Amino acid sequence: MEQSHLKKPYWQTIIWCSGAYLSLLIMSGLFVAPFAWMFSVSLHDLPGVFAQPFQWIPERAMWRNYADVTSLLPFWRYTANTALITALTVTGTLLSCSLVAFGFSRLRFKGRETLFSVCLATMMLPGQVTMIPLYMFFSSIGWVDSYLPLIVPAFFGSPFSIFLLRQFFLTIPKEYDEAAMLDGAGWLRIYWSIVLPLARPALATVALFTFIGSWNDFFGPLIYLNSPELATLTLGLNMLKSQIVGTGTTQWHLLMAGAVLIMLPNIIAFALAQKHFIKGIAMGGLRG
Amino acid sequence: MITRRDLMWVVALNLMAVSSCKQHAAGPEIVYNCAANASDIAALEKEIPAFEASSGIHLRLNPFTGQEKLYAMMVAGQTPDIFYTNSTMRDYLAAEGRLLDLRTVSAGDPFVERLWPAILTAGLSVDSGWYSVGNWSYTLGVYYNRDMFDAAGVPYPDTAWTWENMCAIAHRLTKDANNDGVPETYGIFMGSHFVEVLEMTNGADIRPQALTASMTRESVEAFTLYLSLMHEKIMPDLRRIQALGMQPSQLLESGRVGMLVEAVPHQMLIESMKIRWGVAPFPRIPGKPVKYFRSGSGGLSISAGTGNPTAAWEALKWIIGCAEVYQPNPVLQDVDFVGGWESRYPQLVGTGFRDVWDLSIRHDGGDPRFFVRYSSWTSASILERLQPLLDRLWAGSIDVGELASLMPEVNARVRRELSDLSKKEGLRPAFRRDIEVALKGLDSGADRSPDR
Repeated sequence: MEQSHLKKPYWQTIIWCSGAYLSLLIMSGLFVAPFAWMFSVSLHDLPGVFAQPFQWIPERAMWRNYADVTSLLPFWRYTANTALITALTVTGTLLSCSLVAFGFSRLRFKGRETLFSVCLATMMLPGQVTMIPLYMFFSSIGWVDSYLPLIVPAFFGSPFSIFLLRQFFLTIPKEYDEAAMLDGAGWLRIYWSIVLPLARPALATVALFTFIGSWNDFFGPLIYLNSPELATLTLGLNMLKSQIVGTGTTQWHLLMAGAVLIMLPNIIAFALAQKHFIKGIAMGGLRG
Repeated sequence: MITRRDLMWVVALNLMAVSSCKQHAAGPEIVYNCAANASDIAALEKEIPAFEASSGIHLRLNPFTGQEKLYAMMVAGQTPDIFYTNSTMRDYLAAEGRLLDLRTVSAGDPFVERLWPAILTAGLSVDSGWYSVGNWSYTLGVYYNRDMFDAAGVPYPDTAWTWENMCAIAHRLTKDANNDGVPETYGIFMGSHFVEVLEMTNGADIRPQALTASMTRESVEAFTLYLSLMHEKIMPDLRRIQALGMQPSQLLESGRVGMLVEAVPHQMLIESMKIRWGVAPFPRIPGKPVKYFRSGSGGLSISAGTGNPTAAWEALKWIIGCAEVYQPNPVLQDVDFVGGWESRYPQLVGTGFRDVWDLSIRHDGGDPRFFVRYSSWTSASILERLQPLLDRLWAGSIDVGELASLMPEVNARVRRELSDLSKKEGLRPAFRRDIEVALKGLDSGADRSPDR
């Protein structure tokens, strides 16, 4: 009797679920639409891009655009360059940030909170403010036109990742550390063998954020790289744009084909890390 | 048995091999910060070896361009030898002594004679120094949809057509089938950024290098003519076009407008349009001198810090005058620009392109975008205040008279910027004097509205 009172009528559940799914569908549509448009444009020829009304499904899909974009640019070389920078940046960020976050979450020392606040405060500085001084510094040590300014800073921590990891590390019971200490482990052993394995979701989250940030970075490579052979994918994509008014057509169809190709690793990375990513965000980012 | 000594030899030889790979042909190296797309870069790179062989100059392309990058390179003392500057930026850099005065390397060079006079003067700054060479030029024309003209029984425009003729045709092309007051097809579309050209055509005195905003009576008339296109509903409302998010070429291609004011030549339009189209010159205003717009504002500059000014000048000349990717270059007098483009794009033949181009050469009115609104040191501070006023004008919240009367208010902001500029250290004397003159002009009320 009581159970039937609590249970919603079947029709009400149907309506509620339909409403929920419909709104989710609409929201998904809003997010998917730009990607769908990008993919659709990548299969048109140039006049087709400007045709009115726009044909979402072209009469003849120009798959050749994908081959063209990889031949117009040294696409695979740019991919290898981007992959190298991204791999080293992710490695550097994971190593440095986890170590710093471990210190902030586990070690007790004077001024710890102040230091952590200072670390967080660096997030307030927009990149544009530090751009010129950093460029001058890297230039003075001869690093401009190399990957070093793009990779090496990752080995010195990033405040956002440090914050995310620290918050996650705080959720790992300290009893584990104490037990390890009783077995003779030092801080580094605890960091490497206890905390890091337990922090996989947070590490995956940081890795994913760093991967996406580094893979899609345009401004850093633009500023620091000069030689065409060192270019990354985002710089290559920018070279498909028209540069002079009235001449030099922007090849929108190739630009979009390139954008689809560049986006694929991001999607794959997210799909692979999705489970850890959500857990990492939920446990690390939102916990005070 | 390989000894440690053998290994050291191998390493040393490898290092020598690697370092020799990086070496280039003997002679000065010139870095060109090249604003071009991938195909142009690839084409340039293919041509560079021939230039290097003939000149002994090593030309290195740096294809990643951007104002931030350029400024960062400048402060770090790594300015590329050749780079693109627009007129606003050029004056700033020239005033700070960062650009080479090209007169120092070009004296007696026959290349200078090859340039159109308008291109030459467009590169001059307030101290009469020559700081950039235009690397491209275009005029303005009215593209039209021939099928729409044929369907409406309207003859194609001739080269002497007037603004009135254009409006009359636009009326005939405008169609409002359901009589709801919102036409499905409009006669014409002209972007608001082309109003300066209409001002020039109407005889407005466009002052090169002016530092303050002003509106002459001719400018006021031009704005009124432009607004009448919308009031008469022969041109779509600018806000509606923004909302549609359409490129101007799409408006013509889709049949939403019958005529479109755009750059001539316009490579994207030429490559993408599938309709039957023609192009006519920008219409004349009866009783006013015949003048056609010729763009020449942006160009290539040489850094004052270049290690080898002569080599940089040789490289710049090669880029503009010889590099196949930019040929036939419209900034040069002795090239068959129209013929070159017609052979590249056969669809141009018979469109009227040749007539439009020839007229712009015979009646070169220059580039009114030198006008203070877009191109001067103070353009940013002017636009900051002027742009919202223009938006209000397009929306009908204010009329042209009110806009003209607000010029002193716009210049109040300019005054502050000029004051700050005049205090700046390291400013070259001629530029400082120019600012002081402008400030005096503002104090004496020279920016007051025209007699309307």
